[in-house]
Amino acid sequence: MILELQGISKRFGGLVALKDISLNLDEGQILGLIGPNGAGKTTLLNVISGSLRPDNGYIRYQGKEISKLSSDRRCQKGISRTFQISRPFSKMTVLENVMVAAIFGDRSQKQEPPRDRALSALRFVQFSIDENTLAENLNTVQLKRLDLARALASNPSLLLLDEIAAGLTPLELADLVGVIRHTRERGVTIIVVEHLMRMILRLCDKIVVLHYGEKIAEGTPEEICQDKRVADAYLGENYLL
Amino acid sequence: MSTGGSHRWVVLSPLSLFLLAVLSVLPLWVQDEYLLQLLISSLLLGSQAMAFDFTAGFINVINFGFSAFVGAGAYTSALLVLHWGISPWLGPLGGAVASAALGFFSGVLTLRLQGIYAAVMTWFVGLTLLSLTASLSGLTRGYRGLNVPLFLETAARRPYFYIIFGVTFLTFVSLRWTGSSRVGLAFRAIGQNLESARASGVNPTKYRVINFTLSCAFAGLLGGFYAHFLGILTPDVMHSRQTVEVLALAYIGGRGSLWGGLVAAFIFVPLFEYLKPLMELRLVIYGVLLILVMIWCPGGLAAIYTQLKQQVRWPFMQR
Ligand SMILES: Nc1ncnc2c1ncn2[C@@H]1O[C@H](COP(=O)(O)OP(=O)(O)O)[C@@H](O)[C@H]1O
Ligand SMILES: [Mg+2]
Repeated sequence: MILELQGISKRFGGLVALKDISLNLDEGQILGLIGPNGAGKTTLLNVISGSLRPDNGYIRYQGKEISKLSSDRRCQKGISRTFQISRPFSKMTVLENVMVAAIFGDRSQKQEPPRDRALSALRFVQFSIDENTLAENLNTVQLKRLDLARALASNPSLLLLDEIAAGLTPLELADLVGVIRHTRERGVTIIVVEHLMRMILRLCDKIVVLHYGEKIAEGTPEEICQDKRVADAYLGENYLL
Repeated sequence: MSTGGSHRWVVLSPLSLFLLAVLSVLPLWVQDEYLLQLLISSLLLGSQAMAFDFTAGFINVINFGFSAFVGAGAYTSALLVLHWGISPWLGPLGGAVASAALGFFSGVLTLRLQGIYAAVMTWFVGLTLLSLTASLSGLTRGYRGLNVPLFLETAARRPYFYIIFGVTFLTFVSLRWTGSSRVGLAFRAIGQNLESARASGVNPTKYRVINFTLSCAFAGLLGGFYAHFLGILTPDVMHSRQTVEVLALAYIGGRGSLWGGLVAAFIFVPLFEYLKPLMELRLVIYGVLLILVMIWCPGGLAAIYTQLKQQVRWPFMQR
């Protein structure tokens, strides 16, 4: 088991963003994390990546308790994430953006220079813009792709993806699904947060449904499709199925 | 240590080499001592602006106590020379070490805090250093002023120009080189997006402390040279008024550019000198300029230069 969450809770003032969440993730799996807006998906990714401290519960990663580790340490240990709203280093070039992670996020002994690793991460995500472009000149879709390359450049074992498919054309979406599958084939465990149910159902081995901070269902795509509570939670949400 | 392609190894662009070359031969024509004095003042303030920008423009922490670190270097150097008989040529190194140590400890104390809190703390550190220097009058002679041995016997300005020019050059090249190294990439990542820097494995506190310590080391070094150039020190060198002037030059020059502050110094230091009646209003004018820069041209002179560069092809520049 690569990741084990036990009894994770997180409050923001009076708001309970996560309530007693437990989940296990096996190595090499792709987990889909779904739920309506405000369900707590991003908060859960923040807790796993270390940008937020949970109020209760523990996180075990590769068999070790990591709750006390800072997010930069967690990145070095192989947990990387993308951001729902891209946060590029805007005054840096595309290449430099990715190199930051290649240099500081990857502590494995590598012969290949960081520049080459950054370039191959860009190639891997099929980034088509010149790598000397300043990040501030990229559009939202390009920024998300850049963020994915940055997250991959730190050579993760566990990759957290927060709505990276938003705004893509069907063709681009197919490419992205390919990239994610390919990443898993390299042995990376992945958590995907996404609203597009078609994509989630096609991609994931397991799905967890959050609703107002609670885990209301967990199972294979088939099980989730037939789950009544899930259908109820999504009632009125037209993106399901 | 280089981050980018081979061009990164060349720390200085052809244009900056050209300008530095012009500057270095300028005193051969300029005979006027007063003009030379102005050039020296510009170099002194400009190099301070670069050391300041190394923190403000890279890790995005404003060191409101900057001049106190300059002053700490100046006093350390002066006292080492006066009491331990060290050569004035070595004193500034002692000043650099002292300011670096001070910077390191205040960095460790303050730089865990977020932006504005860190800035406020640096201000307190500066105030503390200032009042310490003023009150330890047995050592520093307080506001009566401390007479400091000069580098040279001569009162001629030209040798001093070359001394200060050398230090400025050293400051520029070192900061520029560090800024374009891997460590510099970490600095810029932290300054541009803290959350993403963390998510990319950069330890913010560590690199902020490294950056702050380096900036303070150069502040101390420059302070030392200032001391043995001027010959007299009062606690006023540590005043936040000085910091504001350095800050203004760095911001007008263009945050994160390093060289912008130096260019700004060569514009505004002589300008204020010729507008003597405005001297008293200097800080007000700097304030207005700062506001204008922030509104109209947040990238300062450096950004204007970049825009020009894209429009005009200089004959001696590649690409
Ligand atoms: N930093 C924060 N401070 C206060 N409330 C927050 C913060 N982050 C998230 N929330 C709240 O927590 C809830 C869950 O948010 P989030 O995890 O972003 O949901 P999702 O990603 O599933 O759309 C929302 O109600 C949101 O407003
Ligand atoms: Mg979200």
